[in-house]
Amino acid sequence: MSSRERILEKLREGERPFSPSNPPAFYQPMTPVADDDPAALRARFVVEAQKAACVVHPVKTPEAAIGVILHLLGGETAVSAWDLAQIPIPGLADALEQAGKTLVGQDASARVGLTGVDAALAATGSVVVMSGNGRWRTASLLPPVHIAVVQGNQIMPHLESWWAAQKADGLEHTRQRSNIVIITGPSRTADIAMQLVMGMHGPQELHLILLG
Amino acid sequence: MQNRANNFIPMAQVALNDADLQTAVSFGTQAGFNKRQAAMFADGEAHGQAMRQQAAAIRRRALNNLPELLEQAEANMQANGIQVLWAVDGEEANRHALEIARRHAAQSVVKSKSMVTEETGLNHALEAAGLDVLETDLGEYIVQLGEETPSHIVVPILHKTKESIRDLLIEKAHMPPTDDPETMARFARETLRPRFLAADMGISGGNFIIAETGSLALVSNEGNARLVTSLPRVHVAFVGIEKVVATVEDYATLTQVLPRSATGQALTVYTHLVNGPRQPGEADGPEHVYVILLDNGRSAIYNSDYCEALACIRCGACLNGCPVYQATGGHAYGWVYPGPIGAVVTPLLTGLENATPLPYASTLCGMCKEVCPVDIDIPRMLLDLRRDLVAQGHGGAVWGVGMKAWAWGAKSPTRFGLGGRVAASGRRFMPQRLPGPLNGWTDYRRTPQFAAKSFRQLWQERKGADDEQP
Repeated sequence: MSSRERILEKLREGERPFSPSNPPAFYQPMTPVADDDPAALRARFVVEAQKAACVVHPVKTPEAAIGVILHLLGGETAVSAWDLAQIPIPGLADALEQAGKTLVGQDASARVGLTGVDAALAATGSVVVMSGNGRWRTASLLPPVHIAVVQGNQIMPHLESWWAAQKADGLEHTRQRSNIVIITGPSRTADIAMQLVMGMHGPQELHLILLG
Repeated sequence: MQNRANNFIPMAQVALNDADLQTAVSFGTQAGFNKRQAAMFADGEAHGQAMRQQAAAIRRRALNNLPELLEQAEANMQANGIQVLWAVDGEEANRHALEIARRHAAQSVVKSKSMVTEETGLNHALEAAGLDVLETDLGEYIVQLGEETPSHIVVPILHKTKESIRDLLIEKAHMPPTDDPETMARFARETLRPRFLAADMGISGGNFIIAETGSLALVSNEGNARLVTSLPRVHVAFVGIEKVVATVEDYATLTQVLPRSATGQALTVYTHLVNGPRQPGEADGPEHVYVILLDNGRSAIYNSDYCEALACIRCGACLNGCPVYQATGGHAYGWVYPGPIGAVVTPLLTGLENATPLPYASTLCGMCKEVCPVDIDIPRMLLDLRRDLVAQGHGGAVWGVGMKAWAWGAKSPTRFGLGGRVAASGRRFMPQRLPGPLNGWTDYRRTPQFAAKSFRQLWQERKGADDEQP
């Protein structure tokens, strides 16, 4: 008998441990957030992201977003960026080229990573980042500085509403993404005497460019 | 990992006399406890309690359907391109990992935090086969440098002060001297980064498996779990069979009560799903992903009165809240899982006879149940384990004689009343410190003062009841 069969057989040996129950018709969200007012959602997202130690840069136009990115890049010439078609800023490719910036993929020496996001969560100030074609996992992970571009209409109330949207979509698309990460602030540790240190293995700074 | 739980009492004595440990553990547990309290009830006490009950029901529902959920999870993981292996015990799980390493010619291994691999002694097994194994969680890295074991489920070096960590990093990793935790962490980042980039194989644990999507779910703050599961060619996850949940809704609740209870965060920095190896067109990510489902005694717990213990999501809140853990730290418990939940699962996973002191390593104050995000009735199980110990003859001779004497005295109202009067009048002859083996009692307790009149005397005065009437 295989180990699989032995384990499953053992689990089916006795009676079920608890009285049967059905999943609730409605799951209470961990952090209740009203979802009817986009302006309130946006404001909550900004507050929570800042609490999680993100730097939020609200911008009205693509030109302003490009301005912030170039400012954050400073003298850095290499950017570990996603395929720019995946980042929703028209004119970004030209602007970076004109400024003499080189796009690198998985380059461990790059100081800055530049990505888009798939969604943003107001309750926790988080961004959802999925892997895929032209979407490096390491761009949001290896460089000490991560810049993520968020569109205002990507903000959802909370993790529960994001999953509800995925489920409405059939979950197949979600499963096809080999790696999904919900990022809430820059990397950190408190292992040494409970003292908070930012940038343990991932980015030390997380800049959110909030468009529109 | 070798089980030393039967040495709980001498190991606790050592811990109580270790000044550094006392400083570190009381500070760490208090901080953890307060953060948990604030985070869990951020939206009010009633809401926090409702979320605990929602989470508790999710875990019990999942355990009720465990065999079916495991089959569903396996089928969905396989459809996602994850290879699923099963292991009856730790040895088999380690063997799987070694075979995978050989198959993919892996020499260097980076690991993110996994308590299950502590259970199986994976690091020793891999090192014995000639592989290089590196722990990458900062706390686990320091544990590995010091050739220690983790003393807390969430904060492995909760027992260590900043100074002892500094000395260890200087001695074992040649860190330039510094007193600043940030500089120490930066040193570890610079030291570990090249090892991540060069590693052939990454080994992680798993916080949850979602059956309906075939996803492996992880939480981390440092980002090392992302590096371990993204950079090497091969990713292997060690996961206990009890970790499966049914749906994404179930997962969404659990992955939020976990960090609130563990570190007081609404979400960990990285709340992370692995849905399979890199897809065609993707530029990074592992080419092969394996999940090893480990039983190692869990199916036996499943069929016992202690199944509730399998609902645990390993947040560490019961450790931080426990007056015994706060005093002793984690190493005294002698095996992988310390604190109240450890006092339950260590006897169950390693044999009651190998952990006889642990069910007594509790004041039964109930804080562990109070703070548990999935409402596990740990005090009930500790009491039942004490009953099992006595039933299996581990009660000890003194215990048996004492209980028989008590029963003889308590069965007759005359003897019971006499006993009370003798105890009350004999109190003043009792020395401050009892001799020999009995001083364990007097060293840590004050003898109580008896009231001038006993309850029975007062009752008789009021009611004039006959002494012989029950």
